[in-house]
Amino acid sequence: MRILAIDTALEACAAGIIEMPDRVLAQESVAMARGHAEALMPLLARVMDQAGTGFADLDRIAVTVGPGSFTGLRVGIAAARGIALAAGKPAVGVSTLAAFAGPYLVAGETRPVVAAVDARHDQVYFEVFGPGGRILVTPRLVAVRDAVRAASAAAVIVGSGAGILAAAWPDGKPLPAIATQGAPLIASIARLGAAADVAHALPKPLYLRRPDARPQDAARLPRR
Amino acid sequence: MLVLGIETTCDETAAAIVRRHEDGRGEIVANIILSQSAEHAAYGGVVPEIAARAHVEVLDLTIAEAMVKAGTSFEALDGVAAAAGPGLIGGIIVGLTMAKAIALVVEKPLVAVNHLEAHALTARLTDAVAFPYCLFLVSGGHTQIVAVLDVGRYVRLGTTLDDAIGEAFDKTAKLLGLGYPGGPEVEREAARGEATRFALPRPMLGRDEPDFSLSGLKTALRLEAEKIAPLSDQDVADLCAAFQRAVVDVVADRVLTGLRAFRRRFGAPTALVVAGGVAVNQAIRRALETVAGMADTSLVAPPAELCTDNGAMIAWAGAERIFRGMTDTLAASPRARWPLEETLAAEKAPA
Repeated sequence: MRILAIDTALEACAAGIIEMPDRVLAQESVAMARGHAEALMPLLARVMDQAGTGFADLDRIAVTVGPGSFTGLRVGIAAARGIALAAGKPAVGVSTLAAFAGPYLVAGETRPVVAAVDARHDQVYFEVFGPGGRILVTPRLVAVRDAVRAASAAAVIVGSGAGILAAAWPDGKPLPAIATQGAPLIASIARLGAAADVAHALPKPLYLRRPDARPQDAARLPRR
Repeated sequence: MLVLGIETTCDETAAAIVRRHEDGRGEIVANIILSQSAEHAAYGGVVPEIAARAHVEVLDLTIAEAMVKAGTSFEALDGVAAAAGPGLIGGIIVGLTMAKAIALVVEKPLVAVNHLEAHALTARLTDAVAFPYCLFLVSGGHTQIVAVLDVGRYVRLGTTLDDAIGEAFDKTAKLLGLGYPGGPEVEREAARGEATRFALPRPMLGRDEPDFSLSGLKTALRLEAEKIAPLSDQDVADLCAAFQRAVVDVVADRVLTGLRAFRRRFGAPTALVVAGGVAVNQAIRRALETVAGMADTSLVAPPAELCTDNGAMIAWAGAERIFRGMTDTLAASPRARWPLEETLAAEKAPA
């Protein structure tokens, strides 16, 4: 299976073409906090070129759907869905948290793997995986202190929010391995995307946070 | 020439296929519009994050529907156009990115269309209006009188110093407890109201420069309404009628001044063209017809569904640009702010 993996959900703009199980035909990752909307498509064109592959040769497109930057993840999803539509190929969504944890689970980690993404305001997007990828804590938005408590038995904490958990770790408690990464590995996204069920792993955003909006009727005058 | 157009700058998710015939005539092959207004109604206005979330959920389906309706394939397209601004950046990013993705896959030119330019050129799609013409662009976000000299050549003759006219309609509706979007609600109420019951000001009337100001009118309306609150149904209708009458008077005076300014600088316009969501207001349309006659020209008003935001106007602007070799790269930027006068500069900017 030949898969195009795209990630713009966090602190990178990245894409790669992977021939499963593990032959990377081309990949490029540029660290960036903003500007994904301008950078992604030229980057994709370069990656396709470098891989010497056409869109017709792809079997599917995998894209990170979050949690992450609302704007960033929509760039990747809009691109993936546009390519899927025009090329007539399926697109699947991959969670950034699962993509962070993936390499540890594949390596056979037997203790819990915690994935955390910075959600600001003393909060993280958080998920805990057991052996074989079993989900012990479903993806959610939690306060940093609650995440620290739930991560106490972890072997490793991975993700853009790993350092935040480490900084809040209580004194005297053994600290798990900390793997702070700005973005998940493209190979990990591709692997999860290849394994995903096309009918269920839809390329839809996983925001985990409601839009900031309140009904406004303060200006309204009373009616008789 | 067959062009796909995508519009996501505000609260409509829209996609259309438009054909430009060799003689320059336009033809709408498919035009799909999904309005989100129900999702924003509770908030009394468009919430940017809610709009962006809705666009990314449905845009590909909207495009697919347009393609099916047109009975065409992506390979048959001659280009892909998307509104790249001005507007709400979250939605623009979704539309422009998907357009780029499709253009990349099918190896067709991309056009990053200025949404205002698309409104400005709609009359060429519907009525084959020749350059130069005088445009009155009137919507929830814009109130401008523009000399349209050619594709990419626009001279702004007048604009609003504060609120857009559509915005003033929306705020009036909100004040009076009417639904959202406010324009049609206010127009409906005005139809059964007595416009002379309240004396509202006509800001800027008689000024030399064809500019607008709406905030004084809005404040005057609020003060009149507060005096008699709580409001009865008839009060609301009368307030709406008085407000709409004041807007119509201001529009007539300001647009006539704009037409005269046009003639002084560029000679006779081929037409007075109205565009934008507020152009569906019948009272304003009637006033513009009169004004056009007074200025020895005629009014061209596209059908209502092409005055409000739509994909056909984006596709058409894309076709006009592709025909002139004015295309954009895959690095084109989404722009929250993008004045119409900067459309040529943008096209010349390095990739």
